[in-house]
Amino acid sequence: MTRQEILEELKKVISPYTTNKEMLAEINDQTDLIKDLKINSANLVDIIIDAEAKYDIEIDYDVADKMMVVGTCIDVISERISQKL
Amino acid sequence: MISTGNDVVSLNAIDITRTKLPNFYSKILSTPESVLYNEAVAAALPFENFVWLLWSIKESAYKYLQRINPELIFTPVMVVGDQLQVPPAYTPTAFGKNELSGAGFRDLPTFDTTVTFGQDVIYSKSLVYTDIIVTVVHSNKNFEDTFWGIKWIDDTDNENQSAAVRAFLLDNLHKLCGLDNITISKNKNAIPVLLIESEETDIPVSLSHHEHFVAYSFQHF
Repeated sequence: MTRQEILEELKKVISPYTTNKEMLAEINDQTDLIKDLKINSANLVDIIIDAEAKYDIEIDYDVADKMMVVGTCIDVISERISQKL
Repeated sequence: MISTGNDVVSLNAIDITRTKLPNFYSKILSTPESVLYNEAVAAALPFENFVWLLWSIKESAYKYLQRINPELIFTPVMVVGDQLQVPPAYTPTAFGKNELSGAGFRDLPTFDTTVTFGQDVIYSKSLVYTDIIVTVVHSNKNFEDTFWGIKWIDDTDNENQSAAVRAFLLDNLHKLCGLDNITISKNKNAIPVLLIESEETDIPVSLSHHEHFVAYSFQHF
């Protein structure tokens, strides 16, 4: 998957946890899930679990800090997908 | 080490089925904490509430320590709650559409833990109702200089939550400590700070909101 394809899928993963749909449509590598999309920290585990299911990967919480910013989120997902191949 | 950290979890907003899944709770609980549940907590709390109690403790501890070390990375399983004490004769009740504030937790039925994150050791006190869990952490076991508050709000919009918790804090800073002309801002690390007439104070504050609940803590001597 390309980074753009992962980004588009990631928007669907994040969507249930943010009410800021306008900003969600325009997220980029610098977008912070908590500060910009106002996602409650209690939902970060949900996002990780949903991303695991969506891409059939495993994400340890020791990389969870990287799951707080869209760009590094894509890095983690991309890395895990490539490890499957 | 002067800091503060708090967290509130609205139990009506959690997914109970999901919380019970190993691939979910294993991202929050360390192995010793999973054992701790069966040994010490199962009679008092359902498992899903235990998971969110530990989340609340870990989030509070992270906020406390991040104020001191802004580069700190939050890894919940590395923040370990230990020596959990269940309040005697604990009977869960609903918090409801109320507000509650105080300094210290004397005579309140708190769940207490010792929290370790790397070399740091701090202490937590949590109030566990049927609808919310609220935690405050402190550097020692005496919380008498720790002020805290919890409040139900009607409007769960993020901007309203943010405004409501700030108004609640400012109101109680005035009522409880006689502090006026205060504004709340965030420093360059996005950590909330109190300003008196535009000058940053050394009063650490922590803010939290989840669904219909807002909560704060601060240290004042």
